[in-house]
Amino acid sequence: MAHQAHAYHMVDPSPWPLTGAVSALLMTSGLAIWMHFHSTTLMSLGLVLLLLTMYQWWRDIIREGTFQGHHTPPVQKGLRYGMILFITSEVFFFLGFFWAFYHSSLAPTPELGGCWPPTGITTLNPFEVPLLNTAVLLASGVTVTWAHHSIMEGQRKQALQSLALTILLGFYFTALQAMEYYEAPFTIADGVYGSTFFVATGFHGLHVIIGSTFLTVCLLRQMLHHFTSEHHFGFEAAAWYWHFVDVVWLFLYISIYWWGS
Amino acid sequence: MYYKFSGFTQKLTGAAPTAAYNPQGLKLSLPAESPTMIFATPTKLVSEAGSTVEYLGTNKVPDLQKFFQTSDGVPVHLKRGYPDRLLYRTTMALTVGGVVYCLVALYIAAQPKKK
Repeated sequence: MAHQAHAYHMVDPSPWPLTGAVSALLMTSGLAIWMHFHSTTLMSLGLVLLLLTMYQWWRDIIREGTFQGHHTPPVQKGLRYGMILFITSEVFFFLGFFWAFYHSSLAPTPELGGCWPPTGITTLNPFEVPLLNTAVLLASGVTVTWAHHSIMEGQRKQALQSLALTILLGFYFTALQAMEYYEAPFTIADGVYGSTFFVATGFHGLHVIIGSTFLTVCLLRQMLHHFTSEHHFGFEAAAWYWHFVDVVWLFLYISIYWWGS
Repeated sequence: MYYKFSGFTQKLTGAAPTAAYNPQGLKLSLPAESPTMIFATPTKLVSEAGSTVEYLGTNKVPDLQKFFQTSDGVPVHLKRGYPDRLLYRTTMALTVGGVVYCLVALYIAAQPKKK
């Protein structure tokens, strides 16, 4: 068998980039077909294909890294760069929605009554559930850091407990937000206030769900002994993503919930 | 653990054996101390287990490492054999079928509406 004389990872040929691209095609075309012909088949097919692609692609990365040892230090460095750049792109994604919010709220038009919050909008009290949500996410930031230190110190049971607690806090946040959405006195259709509120907080909620899923995968991997005290980048990436979600919430809370009320 | 009825909260609360609730009073022959509590029992002898006790499953990673590093030329996404092949073929079938379905749907969608 030929051995490589370098530390980089030459990946085996993989079908997942193709299936992922096709799923993007099916989801977007499916969205258009749904809007014009009321059929969700194509879009659902795209979603199923996306889930299959994600499962198999990331399963293969775990096989390559944990079982085949391809994630040498230079490879891991590349993965770190990749995650940082991805999170940066997500920051810019949210920046757009914050821009939209400030554009409308700093100079409210006469149609809104020349004031912010607009006339007729009863805002949510920032010191009720939103404040609890802030506490929940901040606490989850503490528990995820606790989990990281537990992993680094080889404390298996503590790592599992703190990681599980982090995930539970994430679910608690999601449940509280869902309840807030249901009970809110305004909807997404209530002018630009409703639009900016629900689009910004809605995408944030989606990211909380994604982050919770990522952490759950890390919990399963920790149970299966995948992480060592020296090498656990999957967990670090999940923790970075989780901190990013927390920071976005803090900006949302200060801007939309507090200043905007 | 011994309990007494707390007049303040109107509920059962923890208590020392001397204060425990019992209409006939505590039997004098029973020991006052509770047996030492054991929170976790190792399933192996300490001498067998080494420095750590297994918690929530044994470590199968070394076996998986040996398995996935066999040099049989099989790409990583098919390395496990049957389950991998099944999932791959299902995904590919949905991919190809999906592309065809998509092109047909877009072709139909592009037809002008009959007046």
